Amino acid sequence: MVIKAVWIIVLPIVAFIIGIFFLGLQRKIIARIHRRYGPPIYQPIIDVIKLINQESISHGKLFDMGVILSLAGSIILVLFIPFGEIAPLSGSGDFLVVLYLMLLVPLGIALSGGEGANPNISIGISRKMMLSLGYEVPFLFSILAVMTYYKTTSLVKVVGFQQSSLWGIIHLPLPAIAYFMILPAMLEMRPFDIVSAPQEIASGPAVEYGGRYLALTTIEHAFHIFIVIALFVDLFLGGGNPFTFFVKMLVVFLLGLFIHAVFPRFRIDQAIKYCWKWPTILALAGLIIARII
Amino acid sequence: MDRTNIKKWLKTPDKMGQKYSLWAVYFCTGCGIIEIPPVITSRWDAERFGVIPVATPRQANLFLITGYVSLKTLKAIIRTYELMPDPKYTVGFGSCPINGGMYWDSYNTIKHLDKYIPVDGWIAGCMPRPEAIFIAVTHLWTMIDKEMATGYKRYKENYEYYRHNQERLFGKLEWPPLYPINEEKTEGEGN
Repeated sequence: MVIKAVWIIVLPIVAFIIGIFFLGLQRKIIARIHRRYGPPIYQPIIDVIKLINQESISHGKLFDMGVILSLAGSIILVLFIPFGEIAPLSGSGDFLVVLYLMLLVPLGIALSGGEGANPNISIGISRKMMLSLGYEVPFLFSILAVMTYYKTTSLVKVVGFQQSSLWGIIHLPLPAIAYFMILPAMLEMRPFDIVSAPQEIASGPAVEYGGRYLALTTIEHAFHIFIVIALFVDLFLGGGNPFTFFVKMLVVFLLGLFIHAVFPRFRIDQAIKYCWKWPTILALAGLIIARII
Repeated sequence: MDRTNIKKWLKTPDKMGQKYSLWAVYFCTGCGIIEIPPVITSRWDAERFGVIPVATPRQANLFLITGYVSLKTLKAIIRTYELMPDPKYTVGFGSCPINGGMYWDSYNTIKHLDKYIPVDGWIAGCMPRPEAIFIAVTHLWTMIDKEMATGYKRYKENYEYYRHNQERLFGKLEWPPLYPINEEKTEGEGN
């Protein structure tokens, strides 16, 4: 019981450190691919310190609450996703809880953006909702395939099954590929950074954010990176102890990053066409195969 | 990071944060904006100094005035400057914002930018090389360290002066004053 309580406090801190490390790594590696020197790897921490110490301009109660809601949703989500063998809040149906809680993050940003009353925010929010409509379909199919194959709605049991036998990516290759194909869309990485496109809509939902709001959004983004990649590692790469788990996360993140560094941006209609075509077909085929087996 | 910096980080994290993460606002005021793309992309990589361009003034704390300032641009500059959150630094880039440069006898160009918004530093030249931006950034670091880059404080203290100058150019401004103005004193100055 005490150990569980300690993990509830420690796990978000670990997730934050890993997420912010990934953010720094992202900037450095992209710089190296562009043949630049790049910022130091701790640059996101400097940015967060600066943003916290800046004046922050509020636009109303909901403007504050929305950001906090999305951050809180991310922190709770971290507790449900097993990090290695550690999953402080895991229960029997935590798969479904994760599915529902994942909606809190865009919802909080949308609530906050509504109060900001900037036209760029509304365009950004509508793009965000459209994009999540796009990737939720193949995401749901691939998760249903995992649930059908292992006949459980518990993430911990899925990880346990994989550790006793082979990894999920060998049993269920098609859903794994589908999940990997929509990974950049979930992380808002480059073929899919339509939401925060600075050149088109002046960084989208973050237009009116400055100071502490932007710091909270950055922290939330760090958590989000951790959640999405940790879920992939849990479902298809077989969990592991914390160290191997981190190494697997790093490999998945780097693969996504190399795509991010060289691609231009989709339009929103192209993104939805992409999401509802190949990933959905693959995930649906995987679901049918998992049902037959 | 230098090891000597760690003590400074612990003592004044806000100042060090301001120093090493200057986010510049994109603002194409004049021909100087041609120098910005090479600065932020591969050849002269500004990101190693922590300088990145952001798309909105709410996120920025460094304002580069790149090139000549016409009356119409000045209005946009003032609005952008007032939107930026508080520790904010302005750098005039090129000789035009300093004294009008080659537009010294133009009827429509601002000759002294620092009458309308406070400017923390100038980069002279027409046009300055991209390296000059980095010299300016490192110089701005020293100024932040010694608390000499206090343009935003000056703007707050002497807001009546700046607002008065702005209103003399534009007549009535469309936006309300950023800081409260003592009415009687302004009217006295205006007459």
